[in-house]
Amino acid sequence: MLSTLISRELLDNLMTFRFVATFIIMLLLVVTSTSVLINDYDRRLASYNAAVKSNHERLQERKTYSSANWDVVRPPNLMSIFNVGLDKRLSNEIFSSWGLVPTLWDGQLHGSTNPLLNLFTSIDIVFIFEVILSLMALIFAYDALAGERERGTLRLVLTNPVSRAKILLAKYISAMICLLVPLLISLLFVVIMLMSSTIVSLKVDDFLRIGGIVLSSIAYLSVFYLIGMLISVVTRRTSTALMLAMFFWGFLVLVYPNVILVAFTSAQSSEERLTPAFNQIEQIWEEFDRERKDYLANDPIPGEDSHLGVAGGSGFFEIWYKQKSTLLYTYITASHVDRLDDEFEPQVPHVQDYYRSIVPKTIDAAERAWLVRKQALESVFFRPAIVDRIFLRLSPVGMYDAATQAWAGTDLFGLRDFYEATRKYRRTVIDYLYDKDAFGDRQWFSADKGSVKWDTFPQFSFQSSSVHINAKRALPDLMLMLMMNLILFLIIFLVFQRSEV
Amino acid sequence: MIWHITKRELYDNLNSLRFALTTVLLFVLMLINAIIHVQEHPERMKKYRDATTASVNTLRSRTDLFSVAQEGPGNLYKKPSPFYFCEEGGDIFLTNYVYGATTVQIDNNLRAFWSLYYPGAFPNVFNIRPDTVKVDWGFVIGYVLSLITILFTFDSISGERERGTLRLMLSNSVPRHTVLMGKFLGALASISVPFTLAILMNLSVIYVSKDVDLGADAWIRLVIIFSIAILYLCLFIALGLLVSSSVQNSVTSLVILLLTWCVFVIFIPSTVPSIASGFSTNPMTYDEYFKRRHQNIKELKEEYVTLSQETRGFPDKKIQIDSEYVAKGTEQEERLSQEHLMQQIAQVQLARSVTRISPVTLMQHLLEVFAGTGFERHQQFLENVQHYTSEYREFIIDMDRADPDSLHIIGVREGMSQQPVNPESIPIFEDKLSLSRDFNATAIALFLLILFFVVLMSGAYLRFISIEI
Repeated sequence: MLSTLISRELLDNLMTFRFVATFIIMLLLVVTSTSVLINDYDRRLASYNAAVKSNHERLQERKTYSSANWDVVRPPNLMSIFNVGLDKRLSNEIFSSWGLVPTLWDGQLHGSTNPLLNLFTSIDIVFIFEVILSLMALIFAYDALAGERERGTLRLVLTNPVSRAKILLAKYISAMICLLVPLLISLLFVVIMLMSSTIVSLKVDDFLRIGGIVLSSIAYLSVFYLIGMLISVVTRRTSTALMLAMFFWGFLVLVYPNVILVAFTSAQSSEERLTPAFNQIEQIWEEFDRERKDYLANDPIPGEDSHLGVAGGSGFFEIWYKQKSTLLYTYITASHVDRLDDEFEPQVPHVQDYYRSIVPKTIDAAERAWLVRKQALESVFFRPAIVDRIFLRLSPVGMYDAATQAWAGTDLFGLRDFYEATRKYRRTVIDYLYDKDAFGDRQWFSADKGSVKWDTFPQFSFQSSSVHINAKRALPDLMLMLMMNLILFLIIFLVFQRSEV
Repeated sequence: MIWHITKRELYDNLNSLRFALTTVLLFVLMLINAIIHVQEHPERMKKYRDATTASVNTLRSRTDLFSVAQEGPGNLYKKPSPFYFCEEGGDIFLTNYVYGATTVQIDNNLRAFWSLYYPGAFPNVFNIRPDTVKVDWGFVIGYVLSLITILFTFDSISGERERGTLRLMLSNSVPRHTVLMGKFLGALASISVPFTLAILMNLSVIYVSKDVDLGADAWIRLVIIFSIAILYLCLFIALGLLVSSSVQNSVTSLVILLLTWCVFVIFIPSTVPSIASGFSTNPMTYDEYFKRRHQNIKELKEEYVTLSQETRGFPDKKIQIDSEYVAKGTEQEERLSQEHLMQQIAQVQLARSVTRISPVTLMQHLLEVFAGTGFERHQQFLENVQHYTSEYREFIIDMDRADPDSLHIIGVREGMSQQPVNPESIPIFEDKLSLSRDFNATAIALFLLILFFVVLMSGAYLRFISIEI
């Protein structure tokens, strides 16, 4: 009996204009956007490669350890084609040094050819699904029960010995099959386009991620179908059901995500809230500076600058970076002496001693400052961002967006992994320098006896987190959507059970 | 007769569920919009005032003509528009200042004069909060109201045909075009009633708060913006009537309308610009810009060094050459940043004009112009800056010329007037919003919007005339 019902419903749905129209439009939009997005990815990849190359060249040009260039470049995420998340937005060239533990606030955007282009909004594939799939689901659902009731066919069906649950289930299954056809076929097109493009190579993990995105899309689709069905079951007339469904859609997709965050912006400016942490960090660095000055004062060669007079300060720079809005505070020195006159030769051991003792102290101060900074940034920037996302999740659109971002690895946590990796890289470089005893080396500041060979200098590489971590992050939202499905279905069932035909 | 039909339509709609939902939705959105504006605008104005005062004070603290001429006016700020609530226009992606200071060091003792540099805005680089669209009038009208219009009109003809009332009505001696006009006016009236009320509520909240000074020509601007919104509404009503009279069934009509809406309102504004900007040549990147700048300065330095060695011992000649190179350095620096800016603007302009196939973009562009925000306004600001720049430079020359003791060699301290400058007489940059220019910029967009409307309306008319019932 169930199969008869399903096949009847299926035929009813498949032969309609709405099915054909949505199918064609969806395919059209997905294919055009995919080609645009692949192009965009290609451009970003090229710019990434150029940045890596120029970074590498810059490193090769440097002659001393202290002037080494540690900057790290973030590769574009292929999965950003599906959901761009924060991937395109956050800094992708990160400064790092022994005196600075890098965060996402210590970077810039490379390859941003034209900042004015940000005036235009950009879309990704998940956004298309977000809009069209939900609309489609509601259009399929609004008359599922109200329509039959109006036409009187519902009464006819119920005169047969079929349970109401079966009718509901049949309607649900057949409509979902109809809705899945355009979704799966358009996704298939995306995958084919990705595979046939020469710049992109999909790995097994990527297929699993796409699978996760498909799963989330199905759950999302189902939520909206059930919302439509609920409206259909509580209203008597199709026209009322349609109006309610459309307004509900407008509210959930268009209005809610844009309005809700405005209501929850913190009144206190971030600057004020960062002040205590900034003072603490300032203290740490001031203490460091005092120690440094004490060292210089007690040095056997009195009255010299921090460079101890070697080569008269040429090719040397020393800078204090301070920025309260992001709690950036660091002390950076670099020196590259090309030629050293003999008269300075006796001073060289002193300079070596100076750096041998002061650089580890800088590292230490930077790390202590980082502990303070981490906590402050966490509470001032990260926590509100996470709270925002929780509010967004009150709409299924927010859940879907969060789940797909997590699968794609373009969510907050996915990007955090990258900045974590930059910090690890900094540690690696420091360990490497310790191994070579580079701080106490003549080549730390002077290249007069030959410049540094960079062959063994550690290279940065970033492996995006493995798919099971993505899955772990996406699971809560996926579960939430599934739970919503279940609850909606139960409510529909209860209402339908009691309703009079 | 036409009024009769309009009235009937209006009464029908006033009692409907969609009317109630529309009213609630519009009121909530407009209230939120007003509250945000009342909170944010005074802050924005304060920031602007503080920043301009700071730059004016530094400028006025200089006393001798040479340093006024060399250091320049500092940062020049864009005045925030009080009509931010109408259309935000992506203003956060446009910088709100131009940097005017000396940056080129030709020699140890010689610096070029100040030149303009146009910084880029990267507001989101450190922003980890989720993306949202600002809830301004442009959003409410462009997205929400257009969707509502579709929901009001999709069944206006097909629904009557389904119920058979259309045949009934046409059996009276009413010409068809009257029926169509009646339907059109009825729909327009029933949507503009809640919309107008919501807008009046919004404006009264802003007006009552007293924190926002809308300026003298505010009412003209607001009336124009309102008319544009109504024109935009008419366009969607015409579209609804066209589709509704073309198909037999209301559901089909709704599906077609919704999909058209999705394509034109949501997808075209976000896909077409990236396609269009892909076709145009990319402007030089910041890396390239800095590389070229570096190269330029290096060449200038080398030339200068050789020349100044030749003139060693001839102080008169040296002054001449110094002055020449200061002018050269200033000019080349400014030319490069100008070129960079122009390339960026050209790319955006192309993308913007292509995106005008979407009515929502057209409407938002128009709103931007009259609200004094967005890209057109940014260009106006840049023009103001350039105008001020030439005024400032003329002022230096005039001051120098007025002093009989001066050698009139601009660029070198010894060659210029030594008399103190009255700080009050130095021209101060003040950004202005003007309406006269706005009308010219909008002519094409307005024409296109009207054209869309006329085409759709005549399509609806032709369809409705020829349908069989």
